Amino acid sequence: MTTTLWDTTGSDVVNALIAERRTSGAVASGLALSLIVVVDEKNVPTAEEAATVAAAAHPCRVLMVVRRKLEADDRLDAEISIGGRLGPTEAIVLRMFGRLTLHAESVVLPLLAPDAPVVTWWAGPCPDRIAYDPLGVLAHRRITDAAVSSDAIAALRARADDFAPGDTDLAWTRTTQWRSLLASAFDAAPTGERPRATGAQIEAESGNPSAALLAGWLRKRLGVDVELTSSAGPGITEVRVQLGEAGELSITRPDGRMATLTRTGQPDRLLPLPRRDLGDLLAEELRRLEVDMVYAEALAAATDTTEALSTRAPERTHVWRDPAEQAAAEPDPVAG
Amino acid sequence: MTDLEATNPLRDPRDRRLPRIPDPCALVVFGVTGDLARKKLIPAVYDLANRGLLPPGFVLLGFARRDWEHGDFEQVAKEAAQKGARTEFREDVWQRLAGSVRFIPGSFDDDAAFDEMAQQLQDLESTHGIEGNAAFYLSIPPSMFPVVLKQMERTGLADNDKCGGWRRVVVEKPFGHDLASSKELNSLVDDVFTAQDVFRIDHYLGKETVQNMLALRFANTLFEPVWNTHFVDSVQITMAEDVGIGTRAGFYDSAGAARDVLQNHLLQLLALTAMEEPVSFDAESIRTEKVKVLGALSLASDLERYAVRGQYEQGWLAGQRVAGYHDEKDVPPDSTTETYAAVRLGVETRRWAGVPFYLRTGKRLPRRVTEIAVIFAKAPHLPFADTDTTELGHNQLVVRVQPDEGITMRFGSKVPGSAMEVRDVSMDFLYGESFTESSPEAYERLLLDVLLGDKTLFPDHEEVELSWRVIDPLEEFWTGTKPHPYRAGEWGPRAADEMLASEGRVWRRP
Repeated sequence: MTTTLWDTTGSDVVNALIAERRTSGAVASGLALSLIVVVDEKNVPTAEEAATVAAAAHPCRVLMVVRRKLEADDRLDAEISIGGRLGPTEAIVLRMFGRLTLHAESVVLPLLAPDAPVVTWWAGPCPDRIAYDPLGVLAHRRITDAAVSSDAIAALRARADDFAPGDTDLAWTRTTQWRSLLASAFDAAPTGERPRATGAQIEAESGNPSAALLAGWLRKRLGVDVELTSSAGPGITEVRVQLGEAGELSITRPDGRMATLTRTGQPDRLLPLPRRDLGDLLAEELRRLEVDMVYAEALAAATDTTEALSTRAPERTHVWRDPAEQAAAEPDPVAG
Repeated sequence: MTDLEATNPLRDPRDRRLPRIPDPCALVVFGVTGDLARKKLIPAVYDLANRGLLPPGFVLLGFARRDWEHGDFEQVAKEAAQKGARTEFREDVWQRLAGSVRFIPGSFDDDAAFDEMAQQLQDLESTHGIEGNAAFYLSIPPSMFPVVLKQMERTGLADNDKCGGWRRVVVEKPFGHDLASSKELNSLVDDVFTAQDVFRIDHYLGKETVQNMLALRFANTLFEPVWNTHFVDSVQITMAEDVGIGTRAGFYDSAGAARDVLQNHLLQLLALTAMEEPVSFDAESIRTEKVKVLGALSLASDLERYAVRGQYEQGWLAGQRVAGYHDEKDVPPDSTTETYAAVRLGVETRRWAGVPFYLRTGKRLPRRVTEIAVIFAKAPHLPFADTDTTELGHNQLVVRVQPDEGITMRFGSKVPGSAMEVRDVSMDFLYGESFTESSPEAYERLLLDVLLGDKTLFPDHEEVELSWRVIDPLEEFWTGTKPHPYRAGEWGPRAADEMLASEGRVWRRP
């Protein structure tokens, strides 16, 4: 069931949601969280698809916020669907125009599932400082994706500078399977003694933020230097760890699908290590909502930040920034 | 776990994203051509592989009496995985798995075949880096256990020290057919393997909702205070199936509903419902509490009334005419085996004194459903006029195990309007269907636990023996009697309704 409201108000959306829940019966009554998706119009289909996959695993209310032109009359269009094309979940797509785009929280706040955690995901570039976006300030967990940025490494640095506990990044989620394989390779110590790492190298597409985070993690956990070299990709293609006298451990994945695990003195093994789609990544992020300290450490190590990121305050205060004033103050570099 | 975290620099208890992956190991399936292996085990292995939860060194070894070439088995396994897998079937994942699938043809008394198996397992060390770790899944009739176990003893297949890794064995229900036979079976298995390496699978315990029962009770403050004789009127545990016995006549006719379902699934569900809070969530603590409950079970003295068994006759079910039990293939025409059993049990503890636990199971009932219903006592005083509350029943908390996993609460609510009228309403928490698309199948979870050596969800021999102590007197009482007939497609025999009616209660319609 889908209800579409043109040029509407926040209160009407709340009422339409209640009516929709009534007519659809008691679906999605086990809401575990609210997921706010901040997305551009052109990325709406991709984000919807991912949110649907993630919501199938974690009952949630999806609020898609599409900020349209700032230079327009203030207007709100809303599309409310329960058990429709966005899966069994409650989904509301909110399109905002004009100055309303700067006050999106005024529409979103009354629509949040009562007392459930709030997760905000920027399905595109996120603001330089999350505090600029009130939708980031009100969330308990904030999901960004450094990989969508044209300079992903700089984006990672910005994430580190701006970090607050509760932030996480899909570039980190993409390392999970690599980390899992590496950790289990370390579990299985054939001689009964744990090998000690003496060095490590990672090969990946140049500027790959996941490779940088993986390197940061290995550096932090193993206490060795990790050398990053670039390859043709896709993504991370090889991780090698030297284990002193025990030889070397390497995982190569040239095709983005199957990996080969090689270890001195043991036969090679083939393993599936596919690149994961967005929905899968998002579902992993929603599985646990506590602060990811291991990510904080890896991010710090990846960006040579000496400060302990996890000790920062978890709350942010909204910093007001008006793009119209900014545009006036600093003329567009391209145009100028 | 803590041990690994202490010594493996890449593990961190705060790092919740990394799953535990078993050590390199082999899974040996006896009876790999059987139904269970094809429908459940092989798909579960594929799903685990697809989710990246199998170790880099993993081998699936099939053993069965078939004149098969290696390629034949691979083909059968592939079809089974394609048909039964929960996750998407991907050719490259299968190719990788197929590379480590082996088949050994042979009968269970064939010494050469077992020698070959021992040899193959030994060779895996050099070919797959598997250092002796192997789990043996006995997907075979229990009558075959002795000969297979003897073979394993002879070849040293079950010997942890000799093979240099762990050796585990997985057995399926039925765990014997009475106390004596289960003791015999247990001591046989425990002798050949060590007791801690024996995993008895009760696939119900692998289901999310069953595990959720523990979360519901022990992670919340809301339910535990009323989870006792002061507030609970009775408990009803139901496992109903709409199917008949299918092709299982050979086994089923010698067992019956009580041995097939009551002894294991229903008593395990009862144990989880009634047990005290374990001091921690490890296998040993949970087992301790379950054993206490199973040991405290009592049968009613008047078994004539409180233990009812039935047998289905022909009838209509879901729009189709179905045959009666006597007309099923291979069932003797004078069979007195029950296809339905209902029994009233007591739990003799301070918490449960006086609360009846009604258990029922049957085939050819109107729908397939398994649920645990905790039925609360009525309010001691109702400040309403009698006529206001005529439609108010007992408050209920129902854990729906399958299908449509979830929890239902029933309570009274005012009917809108100017008059004061109270009526029962339901509040639903949907665990299942749409939201558990990605939650693992029971077998997937349990197989992984076997390979990891985690026994939390496996009943041990003491639990099995205590369960038989409950069932044996029932079977003895029923010997020589005829089961009550019931029509296929109705909720069991009249006598079962009378059993509850005699205490002023009715069965819940699930």
